[in-house]
Amino acid sequence: MRFSGRGMIARSMPPSAQRTRPVARSGAAAALALLTAASAGAQTAQTPADGIKLFEENVRPVLERNCFMCHSDPERAENGLLLTTRAGLLRGGERGPAISTSEPVLSLLLHAVEYEDEQLQMPPSGRLADADLDAIRQWIQLGAPFGGDEDELTEVAPAGDEYEITDADRAWWSVRPLERPDVPAVADAEWPLNPIDNFLLARIEAAGLEPPPAADRRTLIRRASYDLTGLPPTLADVEAFERDQRPDAWERLIDRLLASPHYGERWGRHWLDLVRYAETDGYERDRKKPSAWRYRDWVIDALNADMPYDEFLTHQLAGDELDEPTTASIVATGYLRLGIWDDEPTDTELAQYDDLDSVLDTTSRVMLGMSIGCARCHNHRGDPIPQTDYYRMLSFFRGIAPYKVGGGNQPTPRNYTDWIPANLGDAGVSSLPADWGPANLIQVLRVKEIGPEAPPTHVLIRGNPHAPAERVEPGFPLILGDGDPGLEPAAADSPTTGRRHALARWIADKGNLRTSRVMANRLWQYHFGRGLSPTPNDLGRFGEPATHPDLLDWLATEFTERDWSLKSMHRLMMTSRAYRMSSRPPDGALEADPGNDLFSRFNMRRLTAEEIRDSVLAASGRLNLELGGPSVYPPMPEEVLATASRPDAAWGEATTEQASRRSVYIHVKRSLLHPLLESLDMADTDSTCPVRFTTTQPTQALMMLNGEFMSEQAAALAASVDGAGGALEDRVSGALEAVLARRARPVEVARGVGLIEELRREEGFDSSAAFASYSLLLLNLNEFAYLD
Amino acid sequence: MTRETERPRNTFCGRTRREFLWEAGGAFTSVALAGMLANDDFLAAQTVAADGATAWKNPLAAKPPHFDGPAKSVIFLFMYGGPSQVDTFDYKPDLYPLDGKTIEIATKGRGGTRNQGRVVGPKWKFKQYGECGKWVSDLFPNLGGCVDDIAFIHSMTADAPLHGSAMLQMNSGRILSGSPALGSWVNYGLGTENENLPGFVVMLDPTGGPISGAKNWSSGYMPASYQGTVIRSSGTPILALDPPPGMSRQAQRRLLDRLREYNEEHAEPRSENSELAARIASYELAYRMQQHAPEAVDLSGESEETRRLYGLDQDRTKDFGRRCLLARRLVERGVRFIQVYSGGNHNDHNWDAHGDLVKNHEYHAGGTDQPIAGLLRDLKQRGLLDSTLVIWGGEFGRQPTAEYAEGTGRDHNAYGFTMWMAGGGIKGGVSVGETDELGNRAEVDRFHVKNLHATILQQLGLDPNALSYFHAGLDQKLVGVEGAEPIHQIVA
Repeated sequence: MRFSGRGMIARSMPPSAQRTRPVARSGAAAALALLTAASAGAQTAQTPADGIKLFEENVRPVLERNCFMCHSDPERAENGLLLTTRAGLLRGGERGPAISTSEPVLSLLLHAVEYEDEQLQMPPSGRLADADLDAIRQWIQLGAPFGGDEDELTEVAPAGDEYEITDADRAWWSVRPLERPDVPAVADAEWPLNPIDNFLLARIEAAGLEPPPAADRRTLIRRASYDLTGLPPTLADVEAFERDQRPDAWERLIDRLLASPHYGERWGRHWLDLVRYAETDGYERDRKKPSAWRYRDWVIDALNADMPYDEFLTHQLAGDELDEPTTASIVATGYLRLGIWDDEPTDTELAQYDDLDSVLDTTSRVMLGMSIGCARCHNHRGDPIPQTDYYRMLSFFRGIAPYKVGGGNQPTPRNYTDWIPANLGDAGVSSLPADWGPANLIQVLRVKEIGPEAPPTHVLIRGNPHAPAERVEPGFPLILGDGDPGLEPAAADSPTTGRRHALARWIADKGNLRTSRVMANRLWQYHFGRGLSPTPNDLGRFGEPATHPDLLDWLATEFTERDWSLKSMHRLMMTSRAYRMSSRPPDGALEADPGNDLFSRFNMRRLTAEEIRDSVLAASGRLNLELGGPSVYPPMPEEVLATASRPDAAWGEATTEQASRRSVYIHVKRSLLHPLLESLDMADTDSTCPVRFTTTQPTQALMMLNGEFMSEQAAALAASVDGAGGALEDRVSGALEAVLARRARPVEVARGVGLIEELRREEGFDSSAAFASYSLLLLNLNEFAYLD
Repeated sequence: MTRETERPRNTFCGRTRREFLWEAGGAFTSVALAGMLANDDFLAAQTVAADGATAWKNPLAAKPPHFDGPAKSVIFLFMYGGPSQVDTFDYKPDLYPLDGKTIEIATKGRGGTRNQGRVVGPKWKFKQYGECGKWVSDLFPNLGGCVDDIAFIHSMTADAPLHGSAMLQMNSGRILSGSPALGSWVNYGLGTENENLPGFVVMLDPTGGPISGAKNWSSGYMPASYQGTVIRSSGTPILALDPPPGMSRQAQRRLLDRLREYNEEHAEPRSENSELAARIASYELAYRMQQHAPEAVDLSGESEETRRLYGLDQDRTKDFGRRCLLARRLVERGVRFIQVYSGGNHNDHNWDAHGDLVKNHEYHAGGTDQPIAGLLRDLKQRGLLDSTLVIWGGEFGRQPTAEYAEGTGRDHNAYGFTMWMAGGGIKGGVSVGETDELGNRAEVDRFHVKNLHATILQQLGLDPNALSYFHAGLDQKLVGVEGAEPIHQIVA
């Protein structure tokens, strides 16, 4: 497969580096054959002429293919290292000379390409073939001759001029044809409950380990409840499950949790992380995006309804281009409007490309696990994604009406909002308030296009909209098949080009090499604490390979066979024995599997920011479980408001009931994030967040100990338990049970009683203040914040 | 040449894969406390990563620089809104006689792109100061006395003439939001020397934050450990630092002791999970912060002379003076990066003089001249100036022409403006770069915000073209993937 990008690259190269003599990449096979001969007779090939021949035939093609993209332009060579002249090699880059003529084997260049030092591995896209390494090694031994003068520039064939996807590219684990792997046999045939267990156990056994026993029932119900709903089980839930002797007690629990409307709130938040959900535009005015919350509710509703994943993606990309759009499918296109928008950009045209870039980058990372955005200015430096792929993919979105037309700082709301009937089609949104707008119209944040025809898309030299090169048409990435989008001109009266629908059909197709893999990996990640590939937004060469690629492929095929049902996949994963493993490492596991790459025990995790806040509210009894609707504004500390440029107009107000709603309903203002959630590592709002950080910092402890919200909740918890009366021991037990959903042990009760009495006796606390302090302590427990 | 000496100081990713994974929250999670755990022998045996083998690294632990840099700390005096260069430090005698005349001149600002405009002559006289004979306007009589310690850069340029994107660029290098702030990069590169205080501190104007608020000190795609902490110059310095009403320090100690008992009991059978130990330690660190942070902002130990030096005895200067004095105290306590805002909110609450230039600049210069001069003198007399890099400037400058038909207001100007630096190995008494004779566009030795950032990193011993953070498939750098040269002319 070839793709000609001639012209554009030549213009982006400095004249001195322009191609003067073509070097065909297809010569590599011949070179390899020759090299084998040369290696065999290495002892005889020692003349300078042989060195030059070796360079021309076996080394130069390797350098061209792998190194010149970053090390050939004298103006901006990475680390200052220029590989196009011998002088450049001798001078080297910031790390020193690249070759040593006195001790060739110690040459830094060799050190880098040998890939033995984790600190320095070149090329970054992957280790060179052994034959290529041999050629370079031998060439350096021969003094690294280039022929000609030391400073003479080697002719450089522009990278990407004739872009070719190689067999090696196609052999990359995440683009190989998706086939259903055989389920491996295991020694302990009793252990597996479903094929997931076979895949994991086979590797665990091969490492000479045994899996841990199952976790106890309390651990399991806590694990499952947080996992599916983001909420803690009550003590009554725990004890009922502990008592449930039915053989399918676990399955029943999972089904109950999956049927809960809070499932959508929890898993919707995962999706909102990915699509960088926020309700304002950012920048100077940080305007509110009208009715952005409807998109959030759409996500929650769609997940609760177990909308098939292909449909879920299609509606977000092209819900307005469906044959019969519904209110809900139009709301879903709010996906395309969630990014940051500069309302007074210096360069309007660039800003429009930035907006589209944000959509393309998010779409490709989230739905395809691909960093196509890296190819905006040049060919991708790790993956086989030429710059032309970027613009061909971008052109699917080119018809989208811009955020703003004309000067000034006023956006153009008609381009991204609308009033539409509340129950268009079989919308499933009939629960929305009918009186929301005039004549049952509701306001939505949505995508709109400028008409049936999109403006032409050009490759932009170094991403500069003022330097267009050749024109491109919509097309899929070469590495994913380069299929025909099957686009036909839209009807003259069509409001859109139909391009996004074509893109959606391809992404949501069962045959897409990436879509099911990417989502199967995410599902695994959210259930097991780490993706099978730990970099879920990038399954390419800059990401981390899957620890269990066969299991990932098996899950991906399972996902499409189950007609893209997420709930079915949750059930599958959670009914494995693996999901029920204890997090206590069995003997030898820490030594043999220190990073838990084998999943030889369950991963403990800290609750997320939202889970912590919601659990505090649940423990205090204040949690308001109302579903959906416009976002709420829990009180913001005055110190935080003072950081806004208009402290008095920065935030809204909420009643106590509203302020006690789940965290997913808190207004997300880009320039003024909720301080407790922010401190506990909520997702970044400006770019897609595939994995949250988990930091541990003293400022978190300050907020958890001293923050007003925590004091209020501790007081509420104390009042609910303390007010019940009875012996202090019973009330201390009651508070602990409310927070941890387990019975208190005598030593714990004694400790609590001890603290309360000490505070009363030594510090002069009255009994309610002392009990509130103890309640605050409970809300700060590691046991409360961590899951086994 | 041995392998040891060849070992690169930065890597393909700027970090090892393993660090990348920790920070990406992959198999592991990063913890900001492990250094402290190790230092304190506090559950030291557990200061090992979840893999049971790799030693935990505190992302904020002090790290060796790339090379010896003279500066250890940075104080960035941010003149939010954009001070006018021709009225402050960029002396343009030819501009005075043109006052009121309409001339051909290309400008771009809030009011759009224009090709002609009515000149507003500089509204203040300039005088020469110091051995270097630097011309400084009457807005800064005190600062005039410090010019021999200052390097002026008159040819600054930025990419955006509008506050939102220009603020982001000056603070994070990019006009799009989502990238880490300069202070985050510095803490990422060097760590902090005082774990009882945040390493990146921001002090705001009483009228409010700058536009985009916390985006200006966000750690962007880096972990929250590197984000700026807002410190208030009066009252409780840090959010949630004070125990709740009625909770004495002693009472809190009792609570923490019991909390620790519960937590240690919980951690005991989970000893392989060092996060649990780190979280226990974080409460101890928070307790210590409660003690140290108020001390850092307590000015009662400062002499009358020092207070006067910073202008704490005068109404117009006492507020900014207090923040400058706090900045010095934070530098003394090892805080790496301190940003002090002059101006907040919108319009005339900051240097954004669209209307009445004289009123606006008299107010803001009048409030800052004495405190800044006091800060420089104080740092110098305490021997701190050599290791403290002080930066002065806004997100851009202003045009030599009027914005409206009437009045003296000037529009934004990103094509030429002045910033200055002092201390931290910067040459004193020099001026580099020039704007045209009207002070409109940088013409000689033009420098971009990137060059300013590169200079700051270099003075701290960080190679601006090597300090990188792997994110979204790219070795991200403060100065951009294409790199930037420091401003060599001002380096001592």
